[in-house]
Amino acid sequence: MFRPQSTVNSPQFWKEVCGGRSTVDGGRRFLLALVACALWMTGCGPREPVVKIGFVAPLTGDQAPQGQDMLHGAELAVEQARGQGPVLPHRFELVALDDQRSPTQAVAAAKKLVADRDVVAVVGHLNSSCTMPASAIYHQARLLQITPVSSNPQISRQGFDTFYRTCATDDLQGPAAALFIATTLNARRVFVLDDMTTYGRGLANEVIKKLAALGVDVIGHEGITQGDKDFMPVLTKIKAINPDALYFAGMFPEGALLLKQRVQVGLAARFVGGDGLFDAALIELAGPEAAEGAYLTTIGSDIRQMPTAQAFLTAYEARFGPVGAYSAYAYEATSLAIWAVRQAGVKDRAAVLAAMKTLKDYQGLFGLQGFDERGDSLIRDIGIFTIRDGRFAFVKTATWD
Amino acid sequence: MTSLQLFFQQLANGLTLGAIYALIALGYTMIYGVLQLINFAHGEVFMVGAYAALTVVLAPAIHPLLAGLPWWGALLVGGIGAMGCCGWLGLAIERVAYRPIRHAPRLNALITAIGLSFFLQNAVMLLYGATDRQFPSLIPLVRWELGGVTITLMQVVVWTASALLMVALQALVRSTKLGMAMRATAQDLSACALLGIPVDRIIATTFAIGSALAAMGGVLFGLTYGTINFHDGYLTGLKAFTAAVLGGIGNIPGAMVGGLVLGLLEGLGAGYLSSQWKNVFAFVVLVLLLLCRPTGLLGERVAERA
Repeated sequence: MFRPQSTVNSPQFWKEVCGGRSTVDGGRRFLLALVACALWMTGCGPREPVVKIGFVAPLTGDQAPQGQDMLHGAELAVEQARGQGPVLPHRFELVALDDQRSPTQAVAAAKKLVADRDVVAVVGHLNSSCTMPASAIYHQARLLQITPVSSNPQISRQGFDTFYRTCATDDLQGPAAALFIATTLNARRVFVLDDMTTYGRGLANEVIKKLAALGVDVIGHEGITQGDKDFMPVLTKIKAINPDALYFAGMFPEGALLLKQRVQVGLAARFVGGDGLFDAALIELAGPEAAEGAYLTTIGSDIRQMPTAQAFLTAYEARFGPVGAYSAYAYEATSLAIWAVRQAGVKDRAAVLAAMKTLKDYQGLFGLQGFDERGDSLIRDIGIFTIRDGRFAFVKTATWD
Repeated sequence: MTSLQLFFQQLANGLTLGAIYALIALGYTMIYGVLQLINFAHGEVFMVGAYAALTVVLAPAIHPLLAGLPWWGALLVGGIGAMGCCGWLGLAIERVAYRPIRHAPRLNALITAIGLSFFLQNAVMLLYGATDRQFPSLIPLVRWELGGVTITLMQVVVWTASALLMVALQALVRSTKLGMAMRATAQDLSACALLGIPVDRIIATTFAIGSALAAMGGVLFGLTYGTINFHDGYLTGLKAFTAAVLGGIGNIPGAMVGGLVLGLLEGLGAGYLSSQWKNVFAFVVLVLLLLCRPTGLLGERVAERA
């Protein structure tokens, strides 16, 4: 960084700026240079005025496949919005940042977006542990945030009016999974594992609460560390306890290893997981044989069965290939943000936020989209999937009470 | 499953992880022995080893040939390929990053090591992508029941491979001329140079051998867990460093013992106490041990030169 030691207008300063020979009227020439710079930045060159939508998800690291799927969904929404013409004289632009699934990086990304005056709305993040601290920063900056998939219910209970989410929450997903385990799988003894994140621990607690209410015996609850690879000791311990079902609340990289090592240990319990496992990489990393017969819940119903989503599916597949688990949510969140900007009609954060609050019966991918006073989606479907022949197969839309 | 069977099962789990830690810890301890340098890039060499094996096994020129071989043939090709690659990488690291600053203050080498670690991580990320890569499952899933304890072929391969390598290393260090020169260099570098021992070459060889062992650790790690990532070297490298300190850094049998003990501690801690404190447990034991025995389990020399 250039940091002048001498005062402006002094000959030394001029010398430092240009590194050349100093003249007596150095100060005046410096001013001229400044003016030229300013002219170059504003006047010359066809720089279009832009309005930016921020996007944050893990784009590198083990969760990158899900993050990239989300980015593709967001990109598609912005591309389609551009096709429909500009808002005022502005062009839509997507600013994609990477939080590497780390809360610290998430906060850094949030601060970066807040500092950019062209950003009027943010779509993100993936992990609840990232969305939670970042939401406070967006709230402080009065910046609209729509999370596509962070499902921890506590996030919307902080009372931030800048916060919206397009998926169902874990206080619905957890009970749905518990009901499925108790009634459909008929399990009497269940062991619960989670990844000790805001999402994993929160979801595990919801599942346990409902299981206990249904009279199912939760014979153990333990945490594993994200990024760890060796789960043989804890799986061996679970095998010795011999439960009917093993529930895992966490993400697919650890889920895949659990599925794989479960077979090595010879653990016979049925495997049930949350929406964090819903990614094709789960089956690829675990191997189709090890993944066969596992169940998982999702924070929305099957996108492929939605008549309202067929145009999106065709456009997405033509552009990026198979639709990922979270692609549709990111598309929905980005489209909503664009809708709010269009409604506002000005590049102003407060106006965009005010416009978002007027939203009602928006035609979204999962049906008519709307939000309650906390910012949570009114569409509360939970899907149940199983893995059959190396692919996810839709079982049913779940009930939770 | 009785509690005794459970105990032996957890022991088997811990030994598998411990054998991998031990292989990596050997590199830390050997390099510390000759240079009193903690090579923090060693964990990355381990990770590069796993990627090298993956590349060799999946290379279009080699992959079809492996189909005709039994599983251990493919394993041998992958293992030797990885050890070869990382042996060269070790030589390059020593030549480029450490030799030019060998006489500089120790802090410089430490910073260089950290920089090198970042470089290797990001290089692998650029070459292979930032997501988890599936490691080819070369070893078929075979399980044996021994008195109620399940042993997999994978575990047997990990134990055998690391035992063979450790015995070979011990033989090399104890009974060859090169080994003698390595031990002499570890005792006094300048005196060795005065006596005409080519210390530069000895140090380079030490790096090559240590890196090759880490590479094999990487191959076994990839085979056991089935996925690898560019940042896998960080935590595993840190654990192996802990194992080296636990056994007494600079002491080769110490690194072996330290690795196995750390693996067992983690396995038993996760199995009997709680898996969420798995990492904490290992480090608490390290702190307690160092409080009572600052030189580590088998350490002869005081590690004050670090």
